[in-house]
Amino acid sequence: MRNTDKAVFVAGLRKTFGDVVALRDISFQVVRGEVLGLLGPNGAGKTTTVDILSTLTRPDHGYAEVAGHDVMSDPAGVRRSIMLTGQQVALDDMLTGRENLVMFGRLQGLKKSHARSRATQLLDQFDLVQAADRAVSTYSGGMRRRIDIACGLVVRPEVVFLDEPTTGLDPRSRQSIWELVSDFKEAGIATLLTTQYLEEADTLSDRIIVIDHGTIIAEGTADELKARTGATYCEIVPRHLKDLPAVAQALGSLLPEHYRAALTTTSDRISMPAPDGPKTLLEALYHLNAAKIELLDIALRRPSLDEVFLTLTSEDSGDRYDARLAAEALR
Amino acid sequence: MTTTAAARPTTAAGARPTPSTIQQWWVLTVRVIMPTLRNGEVVTQVAASVMFTVGFYIPLKHMMGMFAQSMSSYAQYLMPLIALQAIAFAAVSAAFRSATDSVQGIDRRFKSMPIASMTPLGARMSASMYRCSLALAVSLACGYVIGFRFYGPVAHTVGFCLGVLLIGAAMSFVGDMIGVASANPEATTHMTMLPQLIFGLMSAGVQPAERFPKWIQGFVRNQPVSQFVYALRALAGDSTPAAGAVTWPVIGPALAWVVAYAAAGIPLAIWVSRRRR
Repeated sequence: MRNTDKAVFVAGLRKTFGDVVALRDISFQVVRGEVLGLLGPNGAGKTTTVDILSTLTRPDHGYAEVAGHDVMSDPAGVRRSIMLTGQQVALDDMLTGRENLVMFGRLQGLKKSHARSRATQLLDQFDLVQAADRAVSTYSGGMRRRIDIACGLVVRPEVVFLDEPTTGLDPRSRQSIWELVSDFKEAGIATLLTTQYLEEADTLSDRIIVIDHGTIIAEGTADELKARTGATYCEIVPRHLKDLPAVAQALGSLLPEHYRAALTTTSDRISMPAPDGPKTLLEALYHLNAAKIELLDIALRRPSLDEVFLTLTSEDSGDRYDARLAAEALR
Repeated sequence: MTTTAAARPTTAAGARPTPSTIQQWWVLTVRVIMPTLRNGEVVTQVAASVMFTVGFYIPLKHMMGMFAQSMSSYAQYLMPLIALQAIAFAAVSAAFRSATDSVQGIDRRFKSMPIASMTPLGARMSASMYRCSLALAVSLACGYVIGFRFYGPVAHTVGFCLGVLLIGAAMSFVGDMIGVASANPEATTHMTMLPQLIFGLMSAGVQPAERFPKWIQGFVRNQPVSQFVYALRALAGDSTPAAGAVTWPVIGPALAWVVAYAAAGIPLAIWVSRRRR
């Protein structure tokens, strides 16, 4: 049965829903104790990938193996080995946190007494003791997400799928989920994390796969990707909107051509790569000052996901360059 | 949040236990039943039966009593409809519950777990049978208070109870499927509540079909609730022969409707299970 010793092995996955091609030729691997970040915008194919790997959807083509089990021929084996948390917290809202934990333990075959002691243990570890006997419907977003994940850990999974685990969470709750993911790594669990946030993929993942329109457009460590993206961006906001074309003009060769091309009438700022960091900013300031353009703000910042896409898609091939994404980056 | 949160499962899990389908079915059944004792569902069920009994019996007793096909009392005439409304209410609860599970994504989660695909539905159906049994008991209690009695042999009484439960199972199954398919608890409740009202009020359970306007009599006589009412009324019996006899022409159509309900639910079930595959 076991064809590879990888925790997750994916080769040539393809999936269409009606006319929509959700995935085309996706291949990747995750080893034990590794966190793989699947980074992409809405509709890129992240959830479809997770759905196929957790046996909720069948691929049209390709091969996928999770914890040594073929998702097509041995879905039961996959289901015994994984934990899935979807974008939405999937619990019984009418039960208490403790009851949910006991239920998931019992569903996975634990005896009642064992399920109870395990629930108590997890409530303690997830800092939910005080809320243990309240209905989950009364929990805050962060608490719900924590108990949701805790329910998947009653029996230790070999592979964890976290589908946008921090979407909609406040920064503190997000932080606690992040800590959890690093714990998975220590425990030797393979984790596939999907996210729209570069920062999240950056902090948590050993490797990142950037996916767009169902295709992998880049793969590497966070540092490698950022190196390709240009580590820093300079964002310039003129005081008067009408000055924007003048700003673009004044920046001259500092502003790469496809960024200039992506400017629209609705843009209110200009973002550009700052390969030399503060030095680029100084240069920009010098040019703008010389052109006597009054600024509201100018700052260096880390690239956004849009910019990663902009760079990756445009370097990939000229035809694939997507002006719409560029326009969003400059918004 | 302690930093060892996930590291510990390693030690706690040990050998992976093998889940048994029976245990999973039971856990999932209890999951549905337990909240009904806390969130007022049981109380609502009881109140609904009482309200229905009071709401129909008191105002209509004198008006309809004389038309009630010369049965011994209007209570005896109304009883089948009281029971049917109670189990229809149980089916609405089942639909609401399955729609909630569907929209909250817990169905999706169960599908990603080592649980046989029919187990969650089986568990929801057994929870529905609990609701229907409760509905039957409460409605019989209400019927007894207004003067309903079983007159037939024990076999007929048992037949009445089993009949109500069977109709309840069919209705709950359809309701459950509508809930799963719609994944919208509010819309599901409206969608399932309306037929309950229309078919209940436009049935021979309230007054004889001949008392309805001529143009609608055909519908009233042949629609499922009326056919259920005829069968149940015959099974309950009466001190007069007006309840009808327990014969195939009386029981058969009701059974056929139960089969039709189930047949309507199965394509829905297949469609739901194939969705997104």
